[in-house]
Amino acid sequence: MSNTLKHLKEMISSSGLSGFESPIREIISDAWEPYTDDLSVSKLGSLHGKLFGSGEEPRKSVMIATHMDAIGLIVTSVKNGFLYMDTLGGIDSRVLPGQMVVVHGEEEFPGMIIQPPDHALPKENQSGPVPINRLLIDLGLEEREVAQKVKIGDLISFATEPLELDGNYIAGHSLDNRASVAVLTKTLEILNKRQHLWDVFAVATTQEEETLGGAATSGFALRPTIAIVVDVTFAKSPGAPDHLSFEMDKGPTFDWGPNTHPKLFKSFEKVAKDFEYSYQHAVYSRSSGTDAITLQLAGEGIPLMIVGLPLRYMHTPVEMIQIKDIERTARLLADFISQLDDNFMDTLMWDAEKEEDEAK
Amino acid sequence: MKSLIKALTEITGPSGYEEKIRDFIIDQIKDHVDNFEVDALGNLIVRKGNKASNGKVIMLAAHLDEIGIMITHVDANGFARFSTLGGVYPRNMAGGRVRFLNGDSGIIGMEPGGTIKSVPDIAKMYVDFGVTTKKDCPVNIGDVACFERTFTDLGDRIVAKAMDDRVGIAILIELLKNAKTGPNQIVGVFTTQEEVGTRGAASAAFGVMPDIGIAIDVTITGDTPNANLMEVALGKGPAIKIKDSGMISDPKVVKWMVETATHAKIPFQREILAAGWTDAKAIQVSRDGVPAGCISIPCRYVHSPSEMIDINDVTNAIKLLSNLVSKTISI
Repeated sequence: MSNTLKHLKEMISSSGLSGFESPIREIISDAWEPYTDDLSVSKLGSLHGKLFGSGEEPRKSVMIATHMDAIGLIVTSVKNGFLYMDTLGGIDSRVLPGQMVVVHGEEEFPGMIIQPPDHALPKENQSGPVPINRLLIDLGLEEREVAQKVKIGDLISFATEPLELDGNYIAGHSLDNRASVAVLTKTLEILNKRQHLWDVFAVATTQEEETLGGAATSGFALRPTIAIVVDVTFAKSPGAPDHLSFEMDKGPTFDWGPNTHPKLFKSFEKVAKDFEYSYQHAVYSRSSGTDAITLQLAGEGIPLMIVGLPLRYMHTPVEMIQIKDIERTARLLADFISQLDDNFMDTLMWDAEKEEDEAK
Repeated sequence: MKSLIKALTEITGPSGYEEKIRDFIIDQIKDHVDNFEVDALGNLIVRKGNKASNGKVIMLAAHLDEIGIMITHVDANGFARFSTLGGVYPRNMAGGRVRFLNGDSGIIGMEPGGTIKSVPDIAKMYVDFGVTTKKDCPVNIGDVACFERTFTDLGDRIVAKAMDDRVGIAILIELLKNAKTGPNQIVGVFTTQEEVGTRGAASAAFGVMPDIGIAIDVTITGDTPNANLMEVALGKGPAIKIKDSGMISDPKVVKWMVETATHAKIPFQREILAAGWTDAKAIQVSRDGVPAGCISIPCRYVHSPSEMIDINDVTNAIKLLSNLVSKTISI
């Protein structure tokens, strides 16, 4: 098993839900420790790994942001020995009935999500998906014990084991966005053996699935010269609209839209072409739906690029991704960062097309 | 306490037009605090106590503004159309009366159409001032108003418009007057424009740079007939917010609040609010981040002209907050 696969499997076997990231942060911290010069934790719990460049001070810096928080559930009521729940992050609640979960009460309890039979539901909920506020969790414990050991606000994470599929795919919960964290870990490993002039800030952000607050505050704290957000995007699957979904095993997407700095996008394309990486164009309007939304606006504003990893069945406990996409994206990022030089920022005017044309 | 809440709820102060309520508060607190200032967005920022080396700067935020309406058009017959300031629900408008900043009053009228049971859009509503010409209409485009409804004392339960968040204001005034600050500095911030997107709190937090941020605001309850499942009820104590749809409270802050309440034997409830948020949302993501939480007062019929709270929850919230801010905090 490759290091990347092992690392990823460990990460998607952990909880670390939005706002409550400590368990996953410890795993990532251990993985980054050998590859970084400094590790710290932000006020909102994001992990900051710094790898210093070899350029002259004051050095420019590139921040790579990958969110580490996972979607999950939270206990909203304890009644008659059963738990009611709400979502942390966006969950497709149609997939919930029958799921095995871990309830993080006074201790960790195994449990399962059940939907009451039709006759026990109000008439309007008797056909179609049962809304989340009618679903229950059964822990198999006495009512008294449940009342003592589980309380409102306790977390519920998916218990789905990672599943290695033929064809170099892996499935499990929280691949959004731990697959991207695996990219970043690999990038750090490569950069350790490579010269790079700029400082590298590897950041595992918190709360992306809820508030985008981790990226906003880490961006303000670190004030990088430029930033790269790596997050998952929609892979092609039956019924997915062709123009909004992307091939697996064909490299990452480069995402074009208002959160993306146009010149940074072009410099990514150039590096990909020079080093012969395959990549795909993705276009988003208005909002990228990623940490880039708040990170772009941190401090005085940060020129930013978004790289996507195609993933199937987003926000379910069986997300699926191609492992080779992780490894090739990591190499691409390392090659991009290695070529950043003292003059790079001179090329980075937001809308300099016109001036260039006039100069010609 | 009831008379302070009554006085506060009777003042008109829609989002962006908080001057009257702010002036009232300055009168109340000016002799009890170290200093106060009004920032560029109209936030009233009040400091009490000095931060010792083992102390914290604690920002306590309660919002000045209430939901309301803004006039957008006056027709030839003197009927005025309006848009909303904050979350105004059409179904709460029937039979409503509004009071403008200058004291003028009008009633909400609705175009006919639909059925007797249906609720029209805001666009089909207007303010009737009892005039017949545009010239006699007392308001102009941009004038703002709030809903008018008398304060009613039902015993433990009291009802008024703008209980959201004048009850929070009352609590914060009480704390600034009487709370001990221990090694901490309390920065009481009476924020503007919460109802239109926590705008005052965002700029205030950027300026204050607190070590901890706590909002004091109302939350909805699940204790009325056929209410959505929510484990918060009137009279069972202030609610310690764990999560709402804009913020996940810092787990360390929640733990500190729960332990403080438990130790001081103050009743409290654990709050998860499915839809809605408070100033704490903006404070949490200010600058490089602030450990943030919220103490909520359970309130029925939020954003209606008759918001109901239980006075015992107010008393207990003051007790809890006094305990929180007066001791050495290890977060």
